[in-house]
Amino acid sequence: MTLTRPAAVTRPATVARPEKQWRIRLRRDRSLLLMTLPAVALLAVFAYAPMFGLVTAFQSYDIYSGFWYSPFVGFDNFERLLTDSIFWHALSNTLVISAVQLVLYFPVPIALALVFNEVTNARIRSFVQSVVYLPHFFSWVLVVTVFQEMLGGAGALNTMLRRHGWATWDIMTNPDAFKYLVTAQAVWKEAGWGIIVFLAALAAIDQNLYEAAAADGAGRWRRLWHITLPGMRGVIMLMLVLRLGNALTVGFEQMLIQRQAVGRDASEVLDTFAYYYGVVNNNFSYGAAAGLFKGVLSLILVLAANKLAHAFGEDGLYRK
Amino acid sequence: MQSGATPGMSRRSLLTSAAVIAAVPLLDACGSPKEKASGTTGEGDLAKALPAYAASDLVKPDIPVVAGANGASTDPAFLAYPANPPKTVTGQVGKGGTYVTMTPLWGAIPPSSGNAYYDAVNKQLGATVKLQPADGNTYADLLPPLFAADKLPDWINIPTWTMTKLNFGEAVRTKLADLTPYLAGDKIKQYPNLAALSTNAWVAGVWNGKLYGLPIYSSNAVIAGMYYYRKDLFDKAGVSADVKSTADLEAIGKALTNANAGQWAFDDLFGNDAAYICQLFGFPATGYPWTTESGGKLQHRYETEGIVEALNWHAKMVKAGYLHPDAVANNSQNGKQRFWSGKVAVCADGTGAWNGDDAKSGSAAAPGYNRQAFKLFSAKGDKPTVQLGNGAGMYSFLNKKLNDGQIKELLAIANYLAAPYGSAEWLTVNFGTAGTHYTMTDGNPLLTEQGSKEIATTYQFLACPASASTVQSGAVQVTKDAAAWQADMVKYAVKPLFYGMNVSEPSQFSALGGPMNDMITDVKLGRKPISAWTDAVNSWRKQGGDDLRKFYDGIREKYGTGK
Repeated sequence: MTLTRPAAVTRPATVARPEKQWRIRLRRDRSLLLMTLPAVALLAVFAYAPMFGLVTAFQSYDIYSGFWYSPFVGFDNFERLLTDSIFWHALSNTLVISAVQLVLYFPVPIALALVFNEVTNARIRSFVQSVVYLPHFFSWVLVVTVFQEMLGGAGALNTMLRRHGWATWDIMTNPDAFKYLVTAQAVWKEAGWGIIVFLAALAAIDQNLYEAAAADGAGRWRRLWHITLPGMRGVIMLMLVLRLGNALTVGFEQMLIQRQAVGRDASEVLDTFAYYYGVVNNNFSYGAAAGLFKGVLSLILVLAANKLAHAFGEDGLYRK
Repeated sequence: MQSGATPGMSRRSLLTSAAVIAAVPLLDACGSPKEKASGTTGEGDLAKALPAYAASDLVKPDIPVVAGANGASTDPAFLAYPANPPKTVTGQVGKGGTYVTMTPLWGAIPPSSGNAYYDAVNKQLGATVKLQPADGNTYADLLPPLFAADKLPDWINIPTWTMTKLNFGEAVRTKLADLTPYLAGDKIKQYPNLAALSTNAWVAGVWNGKLYGLPIYSSNAVIAGMYYYRKDLFDKAGVSADVKSTADLEAIGKALTNANAGQWAFDDLFGNDAAYICQLFGFPATGYPWTTESGGKLQHRYETEGIVEALNWHAKMVKAGYLHPDAVANNSQNGKQRFWSGKVAVCADGTGAWNGDDAKSGSAAAPGYNRQAFKLFSAKGDKPTVQLGNGAGMYSFLNKKLNDGQIKELLAIANYLAAPYGSAEWLTVNFGTAGTHYTMTDGNPLLTEQGSKEIATTYQFLACPASASTVQSGAVQVTKDAAAWQADMVKYAVKPLFYGMNVSEPSQFSALGGPMNDMITDVKLGRKPISAWTDAVNSWRKQGGDDLRKFYDGIREKYGTGK
């Protein structure tokens, strides 16, 4: 995944006999295709097969009638969805939180990777790296509990403030600050893990370039600007495309756990909406409609982001 | 960055769909789903479906039952187990059948194989009852896929609070066994221990004129809960616990809050969906939300003046800083720990919170721990009322696929499990084998180490006798205190509208409550002004509340109000 790929060259310009060509390619890529089989099987069972359940989005589904007998209602659920102010509120919350995360979270792993790259002492580097990786393996329940114990109303910080007669800082129950709180939690939990892919990109940069630049008198910042960042551009674009495709997925457990502390207005996102108004209310059709709506929007976002990546001369997710 | 499931589906809906898919071929087996019943039972049909009552006077309680208002009465209280427990069941119980069951469990799930307690009870039952306890906290989410997949066990416990999610009128019709032919009227007398359950306990087991449910932990004193206080902390601070109004409570808030020292007077006093505070401000509780205005028009609890006053008052307490910060964050998980450790002095909790095991946990956290409850009071200081709940909070049901012989075998087993406190059977069901699982200490059974590991509330959630106050962990005084409190409480009991009628609401109303409950949380904690609540009530009316009222008007006209 370096700067350019001669994709257009390797691809045959015209295909004379497509069927034969197809067989040749199959034989040539046989072992690669075999290797993808487990992943395909996994997707088929856990992603594609359950998609049949999307049929409920067009039904008035109830658990005693099932898919076969529940009456079809066409786009009724979607009509209701689009006139539901709570749904629009959830969508706007999702987009706002996503935007905040894009600005405040996305650059953090890149910056961290650059810092790590400068650390030459291998022991310090692997120690600090382990420390920042670790939170990735914590569950959201644990992460929120840690935040609650530190910053909560009865947590360490506020207890200390209270002892000294100072005003308390109610960050955990402030609905207005919730988007920053969840972003901070995401940074704490995931940023360390996120640097892995950027470190790999850094390792792929030709060291000779640095030597040559240094010989020409380029300082640290100039090397960063002219060699390191351009070297990472492909990966950064790829991650950005993935992030945009996931823009409507801002976390489910994290919101669910903290919903009580800040209220629905601040914490309702599309996933929790589908859960509360679908599963909890026993209105599966409505939840499925909300989920499908989100899925379609996400697909459009991925395609658009991919196009954007191409416009910048990058590969993005895939190229036809 | 976030762990995402397939776009378009949350993880839960994914699992549900997977389960539902697995179910598809089986759904053909059930009856035509077209004819859907939404309705209830009229008085005449109810009388036909209900079993006869035949009291059991096996053991005399140490503190006798006290009758209260409107059919309420206290649970019998026992301070010591009879020295020679009599047998209530003679002859063969089961016929060697094997049955799969499912019950909720709040606590650690005991080992299922090599469990000497299960083996001992099953031996007495003469059948293999396979116990499969599932996490009580997620039980409500577990049931709908189970019904959809038609994978119900032979015998299942279903708490009443999960039933609205299950569209239960339809559930009983298609999936659960009609017990009317086995238990109605005098037929129940073949099962004397079941016949000793009070009539009121069976009422909410009747759906659309037929009896389906066996009542679990039935009682004539079922209420949502009460306001508890730490008597030791009150005494230490010299604060009186004689609370007559919310003004008195407010004074306690001021006296016992010392935030700098990490101590607050109150935990959450509202309860989820106003479960507890409705008693103080005199509006209906969650389960039976309707009342009548002076003109006789049906009024929903959300429309009452009482809930507005309750919201205002609670928000005022939050603003004054009398609530523990975790309660302000609406975190109820650690509520018990806050009370035990003395970080809060007053809390609202269910009736089950007051027992010997609680005293044991509390004393471990704070020496001198003493849980007591305020006598019933009302916000304004006038005569309080408390809304009586169903005769049982849970019912167990048999699978419709069982044949006649199997149903009779399971009812015989239920009769054994329902043996009253004081009998030999009760000891086996609740405490296993003498010497192995329990020893008699000071006249009461006490679990051994093996007993604590292997025994959990399992069989009891399939069938059990009426509730009795008994001594746990040797705490005799707790049993006495709780019984005295209950004897005072039952004087103020009232039955709500549509009591015990099991009205099956049309499903379009199921979504109405969710946003309102969210709004209650926001306003009670002062995150939103009271005007937001009034707006929410207006849109509730428009979005279906008024239609729901019409539906209940129809029920009232046709079937009465169950009073």
